[in-house]
Amino acid sequence: MRNLIDFLIKHHAWIFFIFYVAMSCILLFSSNPYQRSVFFGSSNRVVAQVYETTNAVSGYFGLRKANEELLMQNGELAMENLQLRRQLQRYSYAAAADSLAQSDPMLQQYDFVLARVINNSVSHLENYITLDKGSADGVEPEMAVVDHGGIVGIVNVVNEHNSVAISVLNTKLHVSCKVKGTDCFGSLVWDGRSAAYAVLEEMPRHVEFVPGDTIVTSGFSAVFPDGVMVGTIHDYAKQKDDNFYAMQVKLSTDFARLGAVRIIKNYTQDQQQLLEKEARK
Amino acid sequence: MNINLLREIGIALLFVLLQAVVFNQIHLFGIAVPLVFIYVIFRMPLSLSTAWLLTVSFFLGLAVDIFSNTPGMNALACTVFAFLRRPVLSLYLPHGSDYVAEIPSIRGFGMWLYVRYALTLSLLYCVLLFSIESLSLFDFPYLLMRIVGSTLLTFVLILCIDSLSQGREKRL
Repeated sequence: MRNLIDFLIKHHAWIFFIFYVAMSCILLFSSNPYQRSVFFGSSNRVVAQVYETTNAVSGYFGLRKANEELLMQNGELAMENLQLRRQLQRYSYAAAADSLAQSDPMLQQYDFVLARVINNSVSHLENYITLDKGSADGVEPEMAVVDHGGIVGIVNVVNEHNSVAISVLNTKLHVSCKVKGTDCFGSLVWDGRSAAYAVLEEMPRHVEFVPGDTIVTSGFSAVFPDGVMVGTIHDYAKQKDDNFYAMQVKLSTDFARLGAVRIIKNYTQDQQQLLEKEARK
Repeated sequence: MNINLLREIGIALLFVLLQAVVFNQIHLFGIAVPLVFIYVIFRMPLSLSTAWLLTVSFFLGLAVDIFSNTPGMNALACTVFAFLRRPVLSLYLPHGSDYVAEIPSIRGFGMWLYVRYALTLSLLYCVLLFSIESLSLFDFPYLLMRIVGSTLLTFVLILCIDSLSQGREKRL
């Protein structure tokens, strides 16, 4: 017993060292991004408060640019609205002719919540985005996050007034995407280098495309709706096994300057996942 | 004693907040991140027992982790880093000689010794942190660039901060 106590006192520095290293390793290797503890992330109440306070100041810096972008988008939407109204008018004449018009349930499949980004990083290999809306506003895990440029990420952890989303700039996130106009899909993943580019893997070699083609989400994962803008093809190369292409995609979202985002709710997501689970049995 | 302790805790909290709010947002040329909060470990008294040094470092790393969503990463790097601080310092001191000053600073150590001390420790911390980070995705040339870039940026900023705090103490 005495020897044991002597040993402990003599080597207490080493024991402390090993204890703390073990603690860190438990934290480091046990936390997977989908089940991250609410205490050790920026959805922690105190941390979120700090970021909200600083965002209240830094949020003003990008206002001029944000305003310009909104005006631009507003103009585009007004044009689209005009076109749609003209089309609608044309169809309403046709509908009046054969009164079979029914409301389309698919149109009500999606709904969205507006949120502000209060913390964001692009410098790690696994980046997360903290948003100022939480379960009180109807945000739930697995909801899609997009901004005016394109896809941003997927909601991961939610508390009452804040939520944390996994950024597309996270090497653990894979998003199912396709070349617009074709039905061949691949998996978009970040290579950890530049915040402006990501890699679209596993594209079949027979698909025809040229650099500059648009990449959109495929809608297969039930998180992102079909056809959300992702970016444009910048470059492509054969993958190791020669049967697939890997494309470098220039992301249309500017991750260094995220401001207002939309969190999209897919009402049929649960049903689709349930159905797919059933099919795998 | 108590006022000193409170002041040290205040400084540590200030550096955690600065790191979270200001320095984590800096990402120079897409590779270099300044890890300025390790200055808190740099300037801990040399007479402090290893157990205390490790405890403070672990919680410092954990606090920064919580703010940057990287649980365990900085905590592990800080613990190993704090453990290696004294061996690194004794590398630069003549064998058997006593420590030059109680708290490492440019004034206590002299410019040349402090530059070597700070550069080695910055490099050590960047190697530790980015190696731990690259466990999830290994990309050697990029890893090397990040280590070199971040080391230089951290080193320069820490030298600046140390010169500033020195100026203030002289006036007092």
